Amino acid sequence: MRQILRDIFLFFQRDLRIASTYRSPFILEAVEALFGAAMFYYVAQFVDSPALREALPQGKTYFAYSLAGFVFFDYLNAALDTFDRSLQEARDTGTLEPLLVTQVSLPVILIGSAFYPFAATTLRIAVYLGWAAVLFDFPLRAANWLAVLAVLLATLLAFAGLGVLSAAYLLLFKRGNPAKWFILGVSSVAGGMLFPVSILPPWLQVVAHLNPVTYAMDAMRGALLDGAGIASIGRPLLLLLAFAAVLLPSSIVIFSWSLRRTKITGTLTHR
Amino acid sequence: MSDPAIILDSLEKWFPPALSGWRGFLQPFAPPTSPALRGISLEVKQGEAVALLGANGAGKTTLLRILGTLLLPTRGAASLAGHDTAREPTAVRRQIGYHAGSDLGFYARLTGRQNLQFFGRLNHLSDEFSASRIKTLGERFRLGRDLDRQARTLSSGTIQRLSLLRALIHQPKVLLLDEPTRSLDAIAAADFRHFLKTEVLARKDTSLLFASHTMQEIELLADRVAILDEGKLLAFDTPTALRARTLSTSLEEAFARLTGRHPYSAGEPTPE
Repeated sequence: MRQILRDIFLFFQRDLRIASTYRSPFILEAVEALFGAAMFYYVAQFVDSPALREALPQGKTYFAYSLAGFVFFDYLNAALDTFDRSLQEARDTGTLEPLLVTQVSLPVILIGSAFYPFAATTLRIAVYLGWAAVLFDFPLRAANWLAVLAVLLATLLAFAGLGVLSAAYLLLFKRGNPAKWFILGVSSVAGGMLFPVSILPPWLQVVAHLNPVTYAMDAMRGALLDGAGIASIGRPLLLLLAFAAVLLPSSIVIFSWSLRRTKITGTLTHR
Repeated sequence: MSDPAIILDSLEKWFPPALSGWRGFLQPFAPPTSPALRGISLEVKQGEAVALLGANGAGKTTLLRILGTLLLPTRGAASLAGHDTAREPTAVRRQIGYHAGSDLGFYARLTGRQNLQFFGRLNHLSDEFSASRIKTLGERFRLGRDLDRQARTLSSGTIQRLSLLRALIHQPKVLLLDEPTRSLDAIAAADFRHFLKTEVLARKDTSLLFASHTMQEIELLADRVAILDEGKLLAFDTPTALRARTLSTSLEEAFARLTGRHPYSAGEPTPE
């Protein structure tokens, strides 16, 4: 186990080292986050009204509601996207084959390669929220950080399974996973990212209630904007963990099968 | 007597046909119809150097990739240092140094040294050991300052030398090299062959299985030569025995007579 953790860290170290050779993107991303936070602030100013505040579940400003939804969605995107992207990069740069003849297994390579993107997403979210708090009075002081962390971890575990499935699909079919875009697409409408699901037509509300993203989003807003403790967001947390308990092991089984299949068909490193 | 380093037992590999368009979705489930290796049986002794000689598509790379655990055999078995490549891939990878003929992948934004250190760590080498091996082999391969330049700035020949260094860094028991000198200039190629001969094979503790189209390389390095044609093993013997058996004056001629391929002497009769 210690060796696996050490191997995973090697990939994080590698990605950090590669990222450090690009200097300006860090600054550019910080500037982009500033403009992004400003955009949410001014859109919120434009649409804000007492009726809208009334309609928002947490009774907060639309700025806080929408920005919390957006940064959480960024995390969800990272969980769904990272595994197949790291696999695709390794394949396209020709590093997949040399990696596969080392003593590290492909699942460890994938998990290790996911760490830096998750860390980078966390940093980007922190910068977004930092700008929003400093310049636009985003209510960060109310946040219960332990609960925020718990929601993020549960979300990562729940959706990493879909990310691994996406990587399995890429292994088998050599192209991006349409299911991933479907999930992100559905969740952006029926997941409560920028507006409460209560304004949706009844049939879409049913979709939203079947979508674990809706619960994760509610839990995140509760922890971040209302300071809700772990006990009060226990139900969505448990739901996410149940989702992870089913999806993670099954996705690993499917990924292993796909890997074996590509070793049979000879398409493992094909582009 | 020590166990063979490599044992191939009736090894077969068949690939499915390449499907395109919407039928690409059926590719992972397509039945294998194209033979790449057909019933290959041979043994490579410990400390022995064996060359795989054959035309393009003869099955050399497929064979090396099965031993490198990148492919699973369709039938038969391949074992390396006593470990089955299909059932014990991790144990096999512990024993091998693998150099692919293509895709000499390195991280473009990392230096040669950083790349080698990374792969050394993935082979669970200590940083001290890696650093010492990179220093020794880097000097031997005349990599000099290129080791500290980003891989994206290096020539294809230098990348090839880095790839060979990567295959050797952990002192593997079995070296699997696919066209090891393909992108090297004449001097670097001669230098590498000399290194393999005097500093790797001379120790008799490392076995070498390599694919090559360079007869001079095969003559210099190989104790025995496996001649493959369309996935079949046509002959497996020492270069001297192959020449004698085919009444040839060179290995190239022996190869031509055994395979019926005549690159320079079309029409010349082959021995019965």
